[in-house]
Amino acid sequence: MATFELYRRSTIGMCLTETLDEMVQNGTLSPELAIQVLVQFDKSMTEALESQVKSKVTIKGHLHTYRFCDNVWTFILQDALFKNEESQENVGRVKIVACDSKLLTQ
Amino acid sequence: MAISSMTSTVYVSVIEDVINKVRDEFVNNGGPGESVLSELQGIWEMKMVQAGVVTGPIERSTAPKQTSGAPAPTPPVHDLNVPYEGTEEYETPTAEILFPPTPLQTPIQTPLPGMGDNSMYNIPTGPTEYPAAQDGGGATDMKSGRPPSYMPPPSPWMQQRPPLSVDVNVAYVEGRDEGDRGNSQQPLTQDFFMMSSGKRKREDFPSQYHTSGYIPQQDGAGDPAPEVFEVEVSQGSNSIKGHDILTKANREIFPQVAGSYVRIPQLDGPIPDPYEDVLSTPNIYNYQGVVNEDYNIVNTPAPNDIQAGTPAVGIQNDVGDDDDDEPPLNENDDDDLDDVEQGEELNTQHLVLAQFDKVTRTKSKWKCTLKDGIMHINNKDILFNKANGEFDF
Repeated sequence: MATFELYRRSTIGMCLTETLDEMVQNGTLSPELAIQVLVQFDKSMTEALESQVKSKVTIKGHLHTYRFCDNVWTFILQDALFKNEESQENVGRVKIVACDSKLLTQ
Repeated sequence: MAISSMTSTVYVSVIEDVINKVRDEFVNNGGPGESVLSELQGIWEMKMVQAGVVTGPIERSTAPKQTSGAPAPTPPVHDLNVPYEGTEEYETPTAEILFPPTPLQTPIQTPLPGMGDNSMYNIPTGPTEYPAAQDGGGATDMKSGRPPSYMPPPSPWMQQRPPLSVDVNVAYVEGRDEGDRGNSQQPLTQDFFMMSSGKRKREDFPSQYHTSGYIPQQDGAGDPAPEVFEVEVSQGSNSIKGHDILTKANREIFPQVAGSYVRIPQLDGPIPDPYEDVLSTPNIYNYQGVVNEDYNIVNTPAPNDIQAGTPAVGIQNDVGDDDDDEPPLNENDDDDLDDVEQGEELNTQHLVLAQFDKVTRTKSKWKCTLKDGIMHINNKDILFNKANGEFDF
C-alpha cells in the first residue's frame, strides 16, 4: 500500500528522519530497515490524524501562488489567518502542501 | 512555545505506534535487536522534546523491557531529561574539515645569488602549492608568483640571468602548454618582453636560450614602466596590472621572504569567508581597492588575519558605490523578490501538510477543503482533522 511521505516533512517526521540518518551513518541500523520505519511512520501518522484528531480549522488569506502538479496542490498564502476552536493565528506567509486524499483509499 | 496537550499526546502515541509496529522487524529476522529499537525511540523522543513539540518527560505506556523471549539483555532506559550528547561524528564540520589546510608551509627559497635588489620580479621558486590558483587560467594572474610544484630548484643558469625572474612571466603564457614552465623558462621570459614591445618572436629565443645560457633583455631596462605594458592586452588587462602590482609587491615581500609563505595580491575580489555565502561573482568593483590596499592576500581561505582589509572594502563598496550605475551584485539582490524560489526553502517556516478533498475556484476566489493536517505556524504545531480554506488570488 502506498503511503503519503508528506508527513515526513513535519516536525515529528524530521526528528525521525534525523534520528534514522544518524543511526544509519553510525552503522547501527541498515538503510532498508530505516526505510521500513519511515513507511510505518507514514501509516501511523496518517491513521493517528484520522482517528485521534478532531479539531477543525478555517484558513483565510491572500493566495500568492498556486500549483498543482503530480496530484499535489501547493499554495503559498500571504497574510493568512488560521482559526480553530481555541485560538487563532496570524501568519505573514505560509505554504500549504496537500496531497489528494482519494489516492490513499484506492 | 506553547505546546498543545493534544498535539503532544498524539505525537507520543504516534511514536509508540511506530515503534511497536517495527519492533517485529528489529527483533526477528536477524534485525538489530530491541536495544537499537529503544535507542531509536529514545533519540526520536529527545529530538521531539528539544524541538518543543512534545512535553517531556514522556511517560511510557509500554516498558522497554519487553523482549518477548529475545535473549537480549535489558536495554538501558534513556533519560530524556538529560541533554542529548552527540558523539564526535556528528559535530558540525569545522573550517579545518571543510577547507583542508592549504599546504603553504613550504619554505620560501632565499633570493638567488647575484640577483641583486633590482630583481623585482624575483619570486622564489620552490615546491610551493597554491591550490586555489592551480585551476587553469585562474582568476588571478598572480600565478606568476606561484611556481609549479614540479619545478626543479633554481638551476645554475638562472644565476646568470638578467634581473628578471621567469616566474613572473608565466602568467603571460597561460594559454600555452603548462609543461613548458618547468622546462623552457627562458622563452617565457622573452615572451613577456616581446609582448610588451608589441611583437611576438618566440621562435627566436629558444635558440638563444640554448646557446648563451641566458637570454639578454632586448627591450630596455628591467624596470616595468607601466606604459610599456599597457600596449599589450593580449592577456587581458588583469595580467598587466597584476604584473605592475607584483612589481611593487615583490619589493615589499622581498624582505619577508624568509620564513613565511609568498603572498600574492588578489585581484578577483575579496576572499569569501568559509562560513558565509561564497561570492560567486568576482566583485570587480573592489578591484582598485583590493589592489591598492591588500598586497599580501593569498587566494585561499585559510588564514583569517589577512582578511582584515578586505571586508571593510567590501562593505564600503556595497553600501554606496558611485563608480557605476548599480551597486555590485551580491547575495542581497534577490531578497524577497523571487518568491517561488524562496518558497521552496521555507520548509522551516510556516507550513501546512494535509490532504485535500476538493479545490475549486470561481473567478479569483479559491476554496478548498482539507483534512488530516499538521500545521507548523508561529513555531507551534497544530493538528486538524478538517480545514476549510478561502483564498483570494
